[in-house]
Order: sequence, then C-alpha cells, then structure tokens
Amino acid sequence: MSIALLEMRRAKLRFGLLSGAVALLVFLVLFLSTLSGALIESFTGAIKNLNADVLVYSSSARDNIQGSRLDPSVVAKVAAVPGVAAAGGIATTTTSAQLPSGKGDLALFGFDPTKPGAPDGVKEGRLPNAANETAVDVAGATIGSTITLLPTNIPLEVVGILSGAQFSAAPTAYVDLPSYQAALKAANPNAPFIPLNAVAVETTPGSDPAAVASQVANTVPGTAGYTISDAVAKIPGVSSVSQTFGILVGMTFVISIVVIGFFFLILTVQKMRVFTLLRATGASTGRLARSVVVQITAVVVVASAVAILLVWGALKGASTGIPVSLDPTLVIGTVLAVWVFSLAAGLLSIRRIRSIDPATAAGAR
Amino acid sequence: MTTNTVAPADVQQTGKPILEVVDVTKTYGEGHTAVTAIAAASLSVAEGQFVSLLGPSGSGKTTLISMIGGLLTPTSGTIRLGDQVVSDMSKKELTNLRAERVGFVFQSSNLVPFLTARENLLYVASLPKKHSRKAAAKRADELLGELGLSDRANNVPEKLSGGERQRVAIGRALMNDPDLILVDEPTAALDTALGRQVVQLLAREVKQRGKTGIMVTHDLRMVEYTDQVFEILDGHLTKSDGTTLLDGH
Ligand SMILES: Nc1ncnc2c1ncn2[C@@H]1O[C@H](COP(=O)(O)OP(=O)(O)OP(=O)(O)O)[C@@H](O)[C@H]1O
Ligand SMILES: [Mg+2]
Repeated sequence: MSIALLEMRRAKLRFGLLSGAVALLVFLVLFLSTLSGALIESFTGAIKNLNADVLVYSSSARDNIQGSRLDPSVVAKVAAVPGVAAAGGIATTTTSAQLPSGKGDLALFGFDPTKPGAPDGVKEGRLPNAANETAVDVAGATIGSTITLLPTNIPLEVVGILSGAQFSAAPTAYVDLPSYQAALKAANPNAPFIPLNAVAVETTPGSDPAAVASQVANTVPGTAGYTISDAVAKIPGVSSVSQTFGILVGMTFVISIVVIGFFFLILTVQKMRVFTLLRATGASTGRLARSVVVQITAVVVVASAVAILLVWGALKGASTGIPVSLDPTLVIGTVLAVWVFSLAAGLLSIRRIRSIDPATAAGAR
Repeated sequence: MTTNTVAPADVQQTGKPILEVVDVTKTYGEGHTAVTAIAAASLSVAEGQFVSLLGPSGSGKTTLISMIGGLLTPTSGTIRLGDQVVSDMSKKELTNLRAERVGFVFQSSNLVPFLTARENLLYVASLPKKHSRKAAAKRADELLGELGLSDRANNVPEKLSGGERQRVAIGRALMNDPDLILVDEPTAALDTALGRQVVQLLAREVKQRGKTGIMVTHDLRMVEYTDQVFEILDGHLTKSDGTTLLDGH
C-alpha cells in the first residue's frame, strides 16, 4: 500500500472528518443544482420540451406566452413565410381542475396534433387525438383516470403521461384545439372567438431558427418570433431564479474547493518534518507531490460517494411538490469539477514541498 | 597536540579509497554573518573501512557528513564516492544518490510517525528505480531480527522506546544495501550494552559487505570498533593517531 493510503488508514478520524466535511459541501452543490434544475424545469418545461423550432407570439405579448393573443388566421400567414416548413396554433390558459391530489390550478394547453407544437416527453401512453382526451404532467395521474375542469365539469380522459412538461410550476394538461376551444367556450359563453397564444413553427431543414424567427416577425404584422431557447430564457422569473441558484451553487462550490485546499495545506505544513525526512532519505519531490494527489483524490472519491447517497436519500425523503430527479451528467460534472479544482488547490501544498531543504533533516534538532 | 592534518594519500588503506574528500569547505550564510562550519577538510576512506568522527558540539560533524551523504553541497572542494563526483551533482542526482547509495542515520532518530517500524524500512526500499517488493520484505525482516526488533516490527514509532527507534533508523539506513553508511551519534539514546551491540552490527555490516562507514560519536568506548579516528575542532578536521583521544573530552 502506498504511504499516502497508509497514512489515511492510520489517521482515520482526521481524514474521516475531512471527507465528511467535503461530502456535505458536495451534497449541497448537488442538492442545490438538482433542485434549481427541477424548479426551472417546472417553470419552463412546457415551452422547452415543445416539438417546435420557433415560437411566434403577438408583438404586444412582452415575450410572455400567457400575455400573447393571436387571431387563428395568423397560423396560415406564418406557414407561408419562407423557411417555415409547418406551423400549428397553440393556446393556453390557467384554470381550476379536479386533480388526483384534489382541487388545484392546471395549465391547459390546446394544440394541433397534426402540426408542430405537440409536447415532447411522452413517458407513458400517447398524445390525445380525439375530443376530451388529454396527455398530462400531473402528479399522481394514471392512464385511464379522469381530470375534471372546473367550474365547467368537463371531464378529460388521461391517455398519456408526460414528463418535464410543467409550466409556471403548475401541472399541465394537453388537449387538441377543438376540445380546448369547447372548454373555454363553456366557461365564457359570450366570447366572440377563442384566440391562440402562439404559433409553433417547424423550420425547413438547414435554415437557422433565429433567422426564421425574425423573418416571421418582419413578414407577419403584429407578431414576434423566438427560438425555443430564447422563449425559455424570457419566461418571467426564469433568469433571476437561475441566476440566484447559480450564485448559491457557485459559492458552495468555491467554499468546498477552499476547504479542501486549506486542509491539505495545513496537513502538509504539519507534516513538513516528515516530508523533509523523506526527501533526505531519497524521495523525490514528484513522489511526495503524487502522495498529496492520491490523498486528495481519495478524499474526493469518498466524499462524493457519501454526497451522492445523501442527495439520493434527501430527494427520496423530501416532498418538493415538483418532480425532481438526479441527473447523472450533473453528478459526474460536479464531482470532476470538485476533483480538478481540489488538485489545483493542492498545488499550494506541492509548492511547500518543493521548497524543502532536505539537509535540515540531518540538523541536530 | 600530536594530531596532524592528513592528506588523502597518507591514509592507511585496506583497499582502494571509495570515499575521497578533498579540500572541502562549507560556509553558511554570507558577509558579516558567514560561519565557516568546515574548513579545507580532506579525508579518504577505503572499502570495508569503518571510521569514527569525534568533536565537540558545534564543531561541524553533522555538516561534514551531510556533505558526504549528498544532503548539502560544499562551498568548495571535491567529494568523490567511487566513480561519482558527489560535489558536482544536481539536486536530482543527489536525490537518487541518497536513495540508492547512502544510508544515513540522523542525529535525532527521525522516523515517519504514521508508519510502523517495518513500513519505515519498506518505504526507503521503494525509492530506488530498481527494486523488488519481495526482496525488500525479506531484507526488512532480516534486519529487524538482527536489530532485536522482530516483535516490535508492527509498532508505530510512538509505541517504541528511544533505543528501539534508534535501531529502526539504523535498519532503515542499511535497508538499501548502501555503499556508504553515515551515522550521526548512534549511541546517544542507547545504554552501553545495546550501544555496543548496535555499533558492532554497523561495523560488521561495513566489513562483511565491503561498505564504507562513518560514525559520529561522543562515546570513546565505541572507537575500538573503528579503523580510523578523525577529530574536528571548530571546523578543522584532523586524523587522530589514538594517543590524544582523551584530550579535551
Ligand atoms: N543551516 C545552518 N546555517 C547556519 N549555521 C549553521 C547551520 N547548520 C549548522 N550551522 C553552524 O555550523 C556549525 C557546525 O554545526 P554542526 O551541526 O555541523 O555541528 P555538530 O558538530 O554536528 O554539533 P553537535 O554535536 O551539537 O551535533 C555550528 O556552529 C552551527 O551553528
Ligand atoms: Mg550534529
């Protein structure tokens, strides 16, 4: 066994405490980024996971799909713009509904199943293709169950379960446009027509969505075009939420790195006598540096394993109200980043080792 | 005073000189605060010879053997070990020299506190570029046995007595079968009987394996196990003919 691992075995408490501290910090990073990812997804999922390249709102919408009103005739005008392969209307409204968990808010979406604008991410079942069928992202909903719109008491039969399709942190139900229009007509019998909120556009192969978006805005009066990522970023609150969480995650990350770096610096300084002795007996600086690298790596590996277990347990135990799952890419990325930056912080220790004069080991005291 | 400065050529030799120190000077610091710890020292030790180095505290004993063992670079002069010129070596070459050709027992028996006696020996065995784990394990057990440490081998230094630690340090110095063994006050922490035993072991290692050994000591009773005696006073090295050993001690 290498000297680095032997030392850790003899000083279990010391390295256990360090690994524990680092594990808690890695846990915080993972937990915060998982939660923030889930939260942002719950605000934006319905737009992000839309089967379209470009979204068209009314120019008065202030970038917000819920503030957008388009006459159904706009769909044909958008479809005629060069670069547009197909276009489909999308309508959305927030309504009350009887959900498996009780009465609550529901974002109802109407779309044209034959055109762009259908939700991606069907986890189970299928998309609706007949009146009053629905695909939902609603906690507890199962295929074959019923969701009832209130106060109209219109029943929707669940034929598909979606994931990552929430909007404004509310559950969503997708129906075809005629069912949507019927539901709204029932609630507002006096409305002259039911407007669309957006037009979903599929671009022709090879065309740049951003260019098509501005082309639509320039050609069809009263409209504004957005690429999907643009539309997601402009959903009210999203940028400030992701910024806030970004700062929290970043700070926790930096603190972890600093803790690891300082800890190993302290360990190195405490061990200067030993390192000097080892240099005097013929150990090279590189060899001693490697032992620091081995120890940092061991601490990061143990700490990450503990942190992943903690996050997994916490996500299982916590009832967040929004769907949360651990993203392997995020986990691997975070652990690698902690490791790389910890090694960088370990350079402080290695610099101290480089400056050792082995002759001091021979000195009387 | 009947001691006299010796040129390397005057040394009685039992074989070809493996260690040659020619006109070596070491000055610590610069300008006003400069201290000349060793002034123009010359000595020569042949293969299979064990020599002792006597001198009062602060006279430069540690400084001299540190230069010989590749821990310190002389300010001027030449140190040769076999066909290698130690005094011209780079830091990296010195590191290798210490790992492969020199066994050093430091004045304060310096052990790695978190390694057992046996692991302290095995660690240095892993330093030379060519090494065998199996051979090292065998040699470590042999040495620990010879040093009377067999049943203490799996203890960390904290659990060992001062004398036991000193013996572990000696075992470590012998571990890599070095050409040169340098021992700084090996008997300080040992009682007379044990001290004798340890010095005899060192002398035997040197003789049987054809090494070169230098032992710094205060203990005149240990001188009988060595072939030559050198004395240092204020950085000046002289060869003793044996008659003056008790002067000033
Ligand atoms: N790194 C250093 N810087 C400055 N002076 C030093 C240094 N190391 C040793 N000296 C001085 O050099 C002289 C010789 O020191 P050295 O350690 O070689 O003596 P020594 O004979 O081994 O003494 P002791 O028997 O006490 O171990 C002393 O005056 C000491 O103060
Ligand atoms: Mg000394």
